[in-house]
Amino acid sequence: MPAALIFSLFIFAPMGVALFISLQEWNMMASMEFVGLSNYAEMFQSDHFWNAFRISILYVIGTVPVTVALGIVLAIMLNSIVHAVSLLRIMIYLPVITSMAAAAIVFQYIFEPTFGLANHVLQSLGLPRLMWLNDPTQALVAVVIVGIWKRVGYNTIILLAGLQAIPSYYYEAAIIDGASKMQMIRRITIPLLSAVTFFVTVMQIIASMRVFTSIVIMTAGGPARGTDVLPYFLYRNAFQYFRMGYASAIAYFLFAVIFLFTLLQFTFGEKRVHYQ
Amino acid sequence: MPELKRSARKTQLTPAIVAVELFLVVFVIVLNLPFFWMLSASFKPKSEILSYPPRLFPSEPNLDGYRYVWQMVPLARYFYNSTVVAIAIGLSNILFGSLAAFAFSKIRFKGSTPMFFVFLGTMMIPMEVIVIPNYISLNFIGWLDTYRALIVPFAVSGFSIFLLRQFYMQIPRDLDDAAEIDGCGRLRYLFTIIYPLSQPALLTVGLYAFLASWNSFLWPLIVTNSDRMRVIQIGLKALQDSWMIEWNELTAASTMATVPILILFFFVQKRFLEGITITGLKG
Repeated sequence: MPAALIFSLFIFAPMGVALFISLQEWNMMASMEFVGLSNYAEMFQSDHFWNAFRISILYVIGTVPVTVALGIVLAIMLNSIVHAVSLLRIMIYLPVITSMAAAAIVFQYIFEPTFGLANHVLQSLGLPRLMWLNDPTQALVAVVIVGIWKRVGYNTIILLAGLQAIPSYYYEAAIIDGASKMQMIRRITIPLLSAVTFFVTVMQIIASMRVFTSIVIMTAGGPARGTDVLPYFLYRNAFQYFRMGYASAIAYFLFAVIFLFTLLQFTFGEKRVHYQ
Repeated sequence: MPELKRSARKTQLTPAIVAVELFLVVFVIVLNLPFFWMLSASFKPKSEILSYPPRLFPSEPNLDGYRYVWQMVPLARYFYNSTVVAIAIGLSNILFGSLAAFAFSKIRFKGSTPMFFVFLGTMMIPMEVIVIPNYISLNFIGWLDTYRALIVPFAVSGFSIFLLRQFYMQIPRDLDDAAEIDGCGRLRYLFTIIYPLSQPALLTVGLYAFLASWNSFLWPLIVTNSDRMRVIQIGLKALQDSWMIEWNELTAASTMATVPILILFFFVQKRFLEGITITGLKG
């Protein structure tokens, strides 16, 4: 089967090769040198690596809870309104299908410190202007905002489908029992939506661990490594310093983290999904 | 296929619902503000692009930004490359995806279940992990900076196979049996009977693959280095890296890279949103 061939050539074999390279010191020019686990040792002793890991975790903490919570609220709202549902659904999804490269350029313009729209809005609200991409912490906040903007629509659409799969007799029974709207949301909607919520949370964690394009375009990992997330750290080691062995070790670390969350989804997620 | 239909509950128009509707409208406007800002900036003359406070609309809209980027880089070539690659990936995902999905749903063969899960597992392997070996192997066989490098690794995906398999499972066995009794070969059965039946699913798969390819960034960034092979997303980055570029020009290029996809999405959104819900709920 063609699919088997493509998968083995471009996914399975590379997984093995990556493991092999991660045990070598290699710059693609000179011959490989077997160095055992020293790439991994170097990685775990490197401040830059731990910085990248920390930034990635901060990015996840910044984006995931907000996109999930906002997704739930928007889905519940969309499920309860009468007009223009499909148009609103489309509009909420637009950022998801937009190319991150183009979006990141526009956001870079928006976050421009002297004449950008973001500072203009802050100032009009009587808030202090920010440095945005010129300050390590604020730059991270800026890329987190872009991440939320880009992905909240995905959660909303999936959660909305989850809501629509909840049988209406639960609500009918609740109405007969005299439950209020808020009680219904808390006692019926949220619990029955937990499997889907869990799914989108894991998906968002994985996606956030892999954030790359917005970082390349908006900050190049800076300033002062303030937005140097793991994939970008990996990319620089591989394709700017050509340290293929070291970069492969980083890649395997990233893979391990992502794999952990995938396993989590499979072991806890599957059991709780029961639709139709 | 589960449909994204509104729930059957009768909803009455109450003030609370109107308030929610208003909130959603405002939210959606704010969410889509960057698109408006991109469009507005792309038509601004240079003098207004750096004015403070920023102007909502350009006072004298012009096409300077578009003209400039069009001359500065071979944008037409980038578009052509993106289109060729995305269409090739869309079509090959339809073809290879349906072949594999057909095998997994209609043919009993030894090890089909474990193999299916292994194929599904490919969806969990992040691009970042295999990007280095793939780069090295393509470098070794001299494929870097070619269409092949951009297309072949993505010619099929676990996602395409999964989505089509879900669809083929719903085609009743009776139909398979009838075809077999009438002496219809497997491939002929797939292409002449299942294809017409599964048109919506095939279209969905093609669209996904097309869009993912159009928006992909990391892989083309690594495997292309000449203007001749560059795709539009990497073209944007190249523009952004250049010294003498203004925001009206950058936003003009971004607009051109985004608007065709947004328009396409408006036409296919129903199919598309149904697709993500299937995989979302069952994946």
